[in-house]
Amino acid sequence: MNTNGNIYTIIYTTLIVVVVAGILAAAASFLKPSQQANIKAETISQMLQAAQFDTQGMNNVQKLDKYAEEIESAFIIDAEGNKLRDLGVTRDAIELEDGLKAQNYAIAGKDGYTVGLPVYVLKGGVTLIPCYGAGLWGPVWGYIAIEPDGTTIKGAYFDHESETAGLGARIKDDPAFRAQLVGKKIAWEEVPLFEIVKGGAPEGRENAIDAITGATMTSKGLDAAISTWLAAYKPYFINLNKEEE
Amino acid sequence: MTLKETFLNPILKGNPITVLVLGICSSLAVTVTLKGALVMTLSVTVVTGLSSLIMSLLRKGIPNRVRIIVQLVVVAMMVILVDQILKSIEVTFPIDKQLSVYIGLIITNCIVMGRIEAFALGNKPFASLLDGLGNGLGYGLILIVVAFFRELLGSGTLFGVTVLSPEWYTPNNLVILPPFALILIGCIIWVHRGIIDKDLQEK
Repeated sequence: MNTNGNIYTIIYTTLIVVVVAGILAAAASFLKPSQQANIKAETISQMLQAAQFDTQGMNNVQKLDKYAEEIESAFIIDAEGNKLRDLGVTRDAIELEDGLKAQNYAIAGKDGYTVGLPVYVLKGGVTLIPCYGAGLWGPVWGYIAIEPDGTTIKGAYFDHESETAGLGARIKDDPAFRAQLVGKKIAWEEVPLFEIVKGGAPEGRENAIDAITGATMTSKGLDAAISTWLAAYKPYFINLNKEEE
Repeated sequence: MTLKETFLNPILKGNPITVLVLGICSSLAVTVTLKGALVMTLSVTVVTGLSSLIMSLLRKGIPNRVRIIVQLVVVAMMVILVDQILKSIEVTFPIDKQLSVYIGLIITNCIVMGRIEAFALGNKPFASLLDGLGNGLGYGLILIVVAFFRELLGSGTLFGVTVLSPEWYTPNNLVILPPFALILIGCIIWVHRGIIDKDLQEK
């Protein structure tokens, strides 16, 4: 058979592409549940680390156990800070709001998206909130743990999709970077609420931390992510602080 | 060449890194930790082995004019499958994340397409499978040797376990950076060609 004819070539390449596409589609749908379980456990691990729990060496089951043990309640709030609906917190029905990208559009006021922000409250009153934004190469996101007083930061954990290793990637890899946030205060009445300052945060400023040298765009992106998301949560925390007074 | 030689030759005498000098780029990038190097070794071995097998099975029907494209499609499929599988296993999930783009970039590893062009298209399926696996392991052997020194000297750990106590050993940051991997690979090539296999030297 002539394997170099035009018609043979076209049929051959079409067939091979269709077969390969079929195999990949089947593999993707078959492996999806276990991939999502891994992502869920990782998100939970990041939330726990933001709240200063050590999850190193824990497997997926232990991470979910730990979360179920520590969480008090989780719910979605609207733009005015009112509770919309509860998220599952029992061990077998853990629900996370993972559509952070869509929420980011909503916060930015894009059409077709409505704000519905997740709030996770741990036993003891520490509140965990997410943030999400654009780094240099891809999205950056993270979780911020806020003490029961609604102002002081207990800890934070950041992650990224594709920031430069050794520079932007330090938001995740360098524990010293996220340790800077511990004990800082969110200035709910000021603008900006919180800031990552290039060249170093001024001495004595309680709502600012140092940016990463050599990673200006990542630092800026994370700064925007934190301040816009904190601003979106402002009504909720203002209400919370009023209730306490 | 016997089947045994087909398999063993690329691991020792005809090592893709030290003799053919292929696959250097990724060996600089993924050798910071032993875990990463090990996962990369397994991934590359599976990809080279199975792509060579598939291409060898298809070799008589492939239209010659589009053979590179067909190779690319098959290799890309294998790489995506390996990436998806790594993502779905709990133990390899964080390592896959750490290796990030380098798993996807296996497709550009010269060893994979090089072996298909040079061997699989002209040999029987089983021999091609062995040749692919051997080349993957030969590549991995160097990767693991490099990663051993880089993790030991750069982080003071082996497989994440502290070996050189930080109390008396200050991790050397240069070792973590890619240039040191290049120096190390240079040394390995020297040891291989100059000391172990002297007949590799040009007469």
